[in-house]
Formats: sequence, C-alpha cells, structure tokens
Amino acid sequence: MVLDFNTFHPLPQLEKMFEEFMRPGYGSGKAMGYPPLNLSNDEENVYVRAEIPGVSLDEIELTLTDKTLVIKGERKKLAGKFLRQERPTGVFHRVIGLNVPVDRDKVAASMKDGILTVTLPKSEASRPKRIRIGAE
Amino acid sequence: MSDIRKKENAKLPVYRPATDIMEEEKGFSVYMDMPGVPKENLVIDLEENELTVSGTTAQAAAGEQLAEQQFGGCEYRQTISLSDIVDRERIAAKVQDGVLEITLPRAAAHEPKRIEITQG
Repeated sequence: MVLDFNTFHPLPQLEKMFEEFMRPGYGSGKAMGYPPLNLSNDEENVYVRAEIPGVSLDEIELTLTDKTLVIKGERKKLAGKFLRQERPTGVFHRVIGLNVPVDRDKVAASMKDGILTVTLPKSEASRPKRIRIGAE
Repeated sequence: MSDIRKKENAKLPVYRPATDIMEEEKGFSVYMDMPGVPKENLVIDLEENELTVSGTTAQAAAGEQLAEQQFGGCEYRQTISLSDIVDRERIAAKVQDGVLEITLPRAAAHEPKRIEITQG
C-alpha cells in the first residue's frame, strides 16, 4: 500500500475505501467459473468469447470433442514483491457444451485485447433451410 | 456525435479493474486487467498526485443472438495516488493482451543507496 500514502494524503481516505468495497464486481450474486464466457450465435456460426487478459493465444489449449469445447490454460503468477494483488492467477479449465453440430475443420480462434473468440461454424445439416412447397 | 457517445457511455457500468502493484528496485509496476479495451480507448491522466486510468470496452458485434452472457461492455476506471518518490517525468505505459502495465520509476534521489562508513 506504499503507493497510497504520500504527504498530502497521509492515510487513504476511509470513505473512498468503503465505496470501493461496496461497488458491484464481477460475478456478484451468481457463482461463475473462470474465465467468464459469452455464448452467442447467428445463422452461420456459434461464437464463444472468454475474457482472459494477459494470456496469449498459444498459451491456451482448445480441445473440441463431439459435444464440447474445452478451454484450458494458465494465468502465470508474477514474481516479486506485491504491494497489492488482485488479479487472479492459476490454472483454468472450462467446458462448454455445444448443442448444435459444428463443422470441426473450420473452427477458428483469435485473441484480441484479452478476449478470446472461438468461431464454430454450424454444420450444413443444422442450418435453417427453407423448404419449397410446390403446388400441383 | 460526441453527444451520442456520451449517452452510450453513460449506460455502461463502471468497474475498478483488478490491479497488481509490484515494488521493484527501479520503482513500481502496476498491472491492470482491462480485457476488451482497445489501445485507442485507454486514457491515463496524471493530475498532481492522482493517476487516473480509464478505458471503455469495444462495442460488441451486432447481429448475434446471445445465449449466455457473463461479461459485457463496461468502463474501467481506477485512481492511484502516487507517492512522492515516483519520478513523474518517466512514467511509461504499455498494453498487451488486455493488460495495462504502467511503470512508475523511482526518482533518482530515492533510489536505494548503500551508505559508506568511514573510519575516523
């Protein structure tokens, strides 16, 4: 906490501290796994997004099985003297159930600003198809 | 345009990013998790002894149906009081993979120094 002290503010203002404690953070109310996930889909793809700051794409292991996508990785611990430590560290592992068949060969993953995006194209068979009704 | 932006921002929840502060011989390193914030949206202001960092996440892609949402657009904001031993002129910052790293070097006068003892 050394940084929070200086000659003008000899003690951290208590009010400010309480305010920070009261602020809603992530996962308030609902137990969540790590990393937090957003699942969305459009007509062609299923998108899985995860907030994994500080981890590069090649440090993440993605496994696709028949019905699941597994995200595995580790947030490395920094070595040194901590004055404050709030960022989570350690191994994470999440399993996402896929309820639609996907085209396994065309799955793509990208990482931007700490957000992992996995794009899973829906297989041809599961896409909506318009059926023509012919009148005789 | 700026008015519309302001309105959009006003709706976003404000979070304090998870922060690590490390003390090193050369000074302090501050790490903040700000996933989804592109470099262009990051602002760092130094006003007297207060270092304020803020950043807004990029807009989500439109046209997708969300099935499950565990994180979303938000604004990160954090203020750190700097101690007097930080050299204001040499503060540096870089962002990689959604982690902002701010280096706060010690002023030369405050670097650890061994004191020689002379025998009289």
